[in-house]
Amino acid sequence: MIRRYLREISVAAATVALLLLLAVAKPQFFSGQNLRNILVTQSYVLVVAIGMTMVILARQIDISVGSHFAICGVVASLLARAGVPLPLMIAGTLASGAVLGGINGLLVAGFRLPSIVVTLATMVTLEQGIRWITGGEPVRNAPTFQWLSLGQSAGEWLVLATAAAVLVLFAWGLRRLQAGRAVYATGSDPEAARLAGIRPDRVIFGVFVVMGMLTALAAILNGIQSTQGDPTSGQGLGLQAIAAVVVGGTAISGGRGTLIGTFVGFVLLGVIGPALIFLQVEASWEKAIQGAIILVAVASDALNLRQRRNVGASLAAH
Amino acid sequence: MLAPALQHIERSPKNRLVPSHERILAVLLLVEIAVFCVIGRHFVSADNAFELVRLSVEVGLLALAMTPVIVTGGIDLSVGSLISLSAVLFGKLFRDAGLPVGVAAALTLGVGAVAGLLNAALITGLRLPPLIVTLGSFSLFRGLAEGVTGGSDSFMCPTSFLFLGRGAQIPVFVAAAAGFWILLHRSVIGRGLYAIGLSPEGARHAGIPVARRVGLVYVLSGVVASLSALIYVSRYTQARADAGTGYELLAITAVVLGGTSIFGGRGRIPGTLLGLFTIAVLERGMKLADLGDQLAQILVGVLLLVALGANAILEKVSARRVA
Repeated sequence: MIRRYLREISVAAATVALLLLLAVAKPQFFSGQNLRNILVTQSYVLVVAIGMTMVILARQIDISVGSHFAICGVVASLLARAGVPLPLMIAGTLASGAVLGGINGLLVAGFRLPSIVVTLATMVTLEQGIRWITGGEPVRNAPTFQWLSLGQSAGEWLVLATAAAVLVLFAWGLRRLQAGRAVYATGSDPEAARLAGIRPDRVIFGVFVVMGMLTALAAILNGIQSTQGDPTSGQGLGLQAIAAVVVGGTAISGGRGTLIGTFVGFVLLGVIGPALIFLQVEASWEKAIQGAIILVAVASDALNLRQRRNVGASLAAH
Repeated sequence: MLAPALQHIERSPKNRLVPSHERILAVLLLVEIAVFCVIGRHFVSADNAFELVRLSVEVGLLALAMTPVIVTGGIDLSVGSLISLSAVLFGKLFRDAGLPVGVAAALTLGVGAVAGLLNAALITGLRLPPLIVTLGSFSLFRGLAEGVTGGSDSFMCPTSFLFLGRGAQIPVFVAAAAGFWILLHRSVIGRGLYAIGLSPEGARHAGIPVARRVGLVYVLSGVVASLSALIYVSRYTQARADAGTGYELLAITAVVLGGTSIFGGRGRIPGTLLGLFTIAVLERGMKLADLGDQLAQILVGVLLLVALGANAILEKVSARRVA
């Protein structure tokens, strides 16, 4: 049990150590309002990282999510401003995300093109496209869009509850549902998955569609916190989400990883910035520390694996 | 899948026709130039050609060094961030440490070598995927640059160093292109890189020192990124921690558009140069025709997808012909 979840446990331990340090040095960090603020403003990263976990589990990658995020944010704002009723606005935004993800899925699964290059190309096209169409100007929301007219406090709880619900739902689904297991099977060995009756192409297409929808949801969760939809938002979001997934122990070669890992990776990387501010270290070191965490996490993974392999080799020799 | 790639290598350079991908790109480049002759103002002029090459050098150098990296089946996402780290450290060295500019520049190239060595050590020593390692160093290098400058400090380029950004970078670029061409297409090491890209295990059995060769391409990538940083500082006359943002993706786009396979084992320096200038002419031409930067970028993205799709179809057709 411990060995199986070693990565999740060690990342969680590192996070707890950091939080303990904060508890001793700056107890104010743990005021309910501060914690809630951090989680609410970062929740969209978690939602995107959940989708990214599935994409990577299926042995693919998606660096275009930042451009999807910007487009969906603008779509949500436009729909809200046009006076579309709330459920329709949400459905419309999710549908636009599904279409954007579907384009990636079609190119990767249908044409068998490498996902890293496909999503690089769609990212460039869409990122510049939305800026061209909007002229780079933010789209002002309708006043009803902010916190979905629930007021800030209830709105914040809604954002947290939605992110938590998505996490629990997908964690459960990946483990328990046939579709979830198919993602793991496709990522470990597409040919074996095919022989076992799974259609890897459909799984990969589906994973990209779900990724697009989760990105759209993230754009809504982020959009309702402000008064406008920003066509230049989402830059670097793809690599940020991939970082949380990788620190959480999901193998880039597919088929191995958990959403719990992604969650602890997200918390560790997300808490660094606010922690630096509270500890009065210059916040400009945030990215350097995040980079070091990524490298240490993957390096320790490799050393661990090597140790285990050596044990295996010596067992085989006897 | 392997057959077409192997054929490509087995044909000797002399009697091989120019690969069709490069021929198509060359025609496309000529078409672009012809179109911009008609719709752009002053597109065809010595001045404009000079400007176009001058502005392409930084990304061009990265693309040259990225080609052998991708040929071995790897990728280097850290080069854009390394530009910012090198530029900032160069500024620190001559302004705060008071070193002569030449010494500071040489030390900056050393920083690039060390940074490349870090990537190389993690990739070959611990056998980690290059995508993840360089994603980590992408964040680390940019973060160090931000940390060192506090995120806002900027450096002015010393006047004795401005020559590098005003035209002297073009011979540097030509020399680098020639160097990488010899490395990939006229040397034993280059042969080994293609073998590694097709099958690392097979290359090892053939007696190629895989770890050392792969390490070499990442160290070269680091040094070239620092060189690119020096040119960047000189051209913009100043350096901040945001230097080179997104350059790694521009370089990868040029390389892949030039016909290098992202899976490794296939790709040529002439293709990379054609990819680079296809993009550069498009951007510059659109700008001179007042059509805007963004439209040019959109077309680059679409072009990349079309090139990939066409390649996949061509490969299927040629595979069928062989079979």
